[in-house]
Amino acid sequence: MKRKKQILCLLLAGMALLGAAACGQSTAGTEAGQETETVQGTETAEHTVTSVDDLPGARIGVQLGTTGDIYVSDYESDGSGTVVERYNKGADAVQALKQGKIDCVVIDEQPALRFVEQNGGLRILEEEFTLEDYAFLIAKDNEELLEKVNGALAELREEGVLDEIKKNYVGAESEVGKYPYESADVERPNGTLVVATNAEFPPYEYYEDGAVTGMDMDIMRAVCDKLGMEIKIEDMAFDSIIPAVSSGKADIGAAGFTVTEERKKNANFSDTYTTSKQVIIVADEDAVQAGQTLSEKFYNSFIKDSRYMYLVKGLGNTIVITIFAVMIGIALGFLIAVVRTNHDRNGGFTVLNAICKAYLTIVRGTPVMIQLLIIYYVIFQSVTINKLVVAVIAFGLNSAAYVAEIVRSGIMAVDVGQFEAGRSLGLTYRQTMGSIVMPQAVKNILPALCNEFISLLKETSISGYIGFMDLTKGGDIIRSVTYDALLPLLAVALVYLLMVMGLTKGVNLLERKLRSNER
Amino acid sequence: MSDNTVILETKNLRKSFDGQEVLKGITTTIKKGDVLALIGPSGCGKSTFLRSLNLLEIPTDGHVLFEGTDLTDRSVDINQVRQKIGMVFQQFNLFPNMTIRENIMLAPVKLGKLTREEAEKKAVELLARIGLSDKADAYPAQLSGGQKQRIAIVRSLAMNPDIILFDEPTSALDPEMVGEVLAVMKELANDGMTMVVVTHEMGFAREVANRVMFINDGVIQEEGTPEEVFGSPKSPRLREFLSKVL
Ligand SMILES: Nc1ncnc2c1ncn2[C@@H]1O[C@H](COP(=O)(O)OP(=O)(O)O)[C@@H](O)[C@H]1O
Ligand SMILES: [Mg+2]
Repeated sequence: MKRKKQILCLLLAGMALLGAAACGQSTAGTEAGQETETVQGTETAEHTVTSVDDLPGARIGVQLGTTGDIYVSDYESDGSGTVVERYNKGADAVQALKQGKIDCVVIDEQPALRFVEQNGGLRILEEEFTLEDYAFLIAKDNEELLEKVNGALAELREEGVLDEIKKNYVGAESEVGKYPYESADVERPNGTLVVATNAEFPPYEYYEDGAVTGMDMDIMRAVCDKLGMEIKIEDMAFDSIIPAVSSGKADIGAAGFTVTEERKKNANFSDTYTTSKQVIIVADEDAVQAGQTLSEKFYNSFIKDSRYMYLVKGLGNTIVITIFAVMIGIALGFLIAVVRTNHDRNGGFTVLNAICKAYLTIVRGTPVMIQLLIIYYVIFQSVTINKLVVAVIAFGLNSAAYVAEIVRSGIMAVDVGQFEAGRSLGLTYRQTMGSIVMPQAVKNILPALCNEFISLLKETSISGYIGFMDLTKGGDIIRSVTYDALLPLLAVALVYLLMVMGLTKGVNLLERKLRSNER
Repeated sequence: MSDNTVILETKNLRKSFDGQEVLKGITTTIKKGDVLALIGPSGCGKSTFLRSLNLLEIPTDGHVLFEGTDLTDRSVDINQVRQKIGMVFQQFNLFPNMTIRENIMLAPVKLGKLTREEAEKKAVELLARIGLSDKADAYPAQLSGGQKQRIAIVRSLAMNPDIILFDEPTSALDPEMVGEVLAVMKELANDGMTMVVVTHEMGFAREVANRVMFINDGVIQEEGTPEEVFGSPKSPRLREFLSKVL
């Protein structure tokens, strides 16, 4: 009874938080320039950016690994006191700008236009930061593909297809959306072109109706039509694309890549397919904010285009990863624990024990995110492997190490007399462990074990780093199309919270049931 | 009481822990129906000796023969042999997560000696024998120490052993419960069970045992019938020991 009330309270608190935060944001927006402004105003007053010359000394937000990042990094070390804040997503940088955490955002023009359009109170400085060329990225040793892609691009340019695709996304208002690229009906005998992208960069690449689309993607489709290849699009973190291409996980990187000297060291670039600008977004004190109401935001985040499906699908994937990872974790963890305790008590399994120890040291000594990346980009470098499988393996192997030590401590906590009693009755080592020691150990460690799985559930939220769409990534996708960070984040948080609370309740019930058998 | 069938035999049994020799060559023979009481000062190696008999401790040197089979031979299936050697511990070591009935049935059923039905019947029989029929579905934590130890004894009996090893079976008990456990052991002895008992209960040793072995400093200092050992101790060590415990 008491628990039920607790859950209800927590839920209500969550809802209230969601609503309050959303309202707070929209009032701050709609009443910009009035009293509420002053709070934000004092925060942003530190350094006003009105031109490129003002950048030194400012707090600049960029998307990690983009050319904006590369350019402004020069200011960082010139003693002007410039601070560069690197965000995983452009939308996060814009959010920070709105909150006055930074003075400006340096980002590509097209996404900048969208950000400003969707968020009130921002403007783009007239003066562009730099002009730059976009090209596709191909592995150094893959000269053959480079030539083919350049050939296809040249043909597309000649036929006017390239221009049409570009107009469809960045043309005049009357042209945008008028020239959707239709894939040609051609033979595709030449295999599959794996395209690595980061679909959070409209209009070049973004999600629409659950699929990755955008200018770069349309050009890739057109290139594949020319080359007689199937296309396979892999969505991943922006800074993972170059490693993916150079390791052979993907054939080509298409993510609004600007040609830079630094990148040329690691990969080849195709011919330029379009040009873009880096521009500077700043807060605009005078702009009348076209703030959205909470219900509009809710509609945009979840209802429009069935965007809630990103969360549903992501949740499904999160659950699947967690369940399978837990199974690997339990199986392997128990095995390791048995090897280790057997060694500690009887001195058996010397070699195996050493292997297990090394395994535990490495897994517990490194962050799970690094393990996930290493498994995906290094260990399975040359194989095309389902990302779900990679995530399950990575989280399973990680969890096994923690489970092993929990189980080991559980086994050690069972009185050695229990073991001796079993053995003295003639039970084998395995029978004794299985029927006598383990049931008691499991009961001892059940809370710790369940906590481990609850944290595993939460840890899977980094799956997005290999471009796998779990619950968190589902929320990120929504954020990248709506430019509203708040509601998707809170919704994702709420879903995790509900799952964890449900699990915790289940564990408590189970524990009580087990306890009631004794004493 | 004993006939001449040899059940257990040790030959020059030695055991060291971390280079420290605890058993310094023990040779003895235990015959069918023997009740052998092991006495000696604390830390002299009684438990180590007892536990070597079913290889819970692996001897460093020497031999342990059970019904003619050398247990120190690595090719021997020790699990098979242990089915025939019961053991009762000072701390009872009942399985706390199982009912009394399950405690008794576990080994015979797991090892395929009895079917579930047979084991069930046997458990009922054994519990009736010690007057604890009403505890069949209780858990160990609900029992007194004396009751637990009696259950531990019948748990080992369920395997139909040829010999039972007792390691200070009454030392962890409140004084008022010692009697009920000794009574069960006495009854076993009277039924002809071969027993090796590490004990501080000199009264029990004198009354029930047919042989008493005084271990001191890792060797058999003196051995004989209860009358010999308690009535006319020869070594000054034994005399000193008896003067302390009697
Ligand atoms: N597993 C062990 N590791 C190290 N030393 C041990 C171990 N078991 C017993 N000993 C040592 O061996 C000696 C004899 O112990 P034990 O056989 O238990 O004596 P008793 O049962 O006669 O009191 C003691 O000094 C004890 O500390
Ligand atoms: Mg002892």
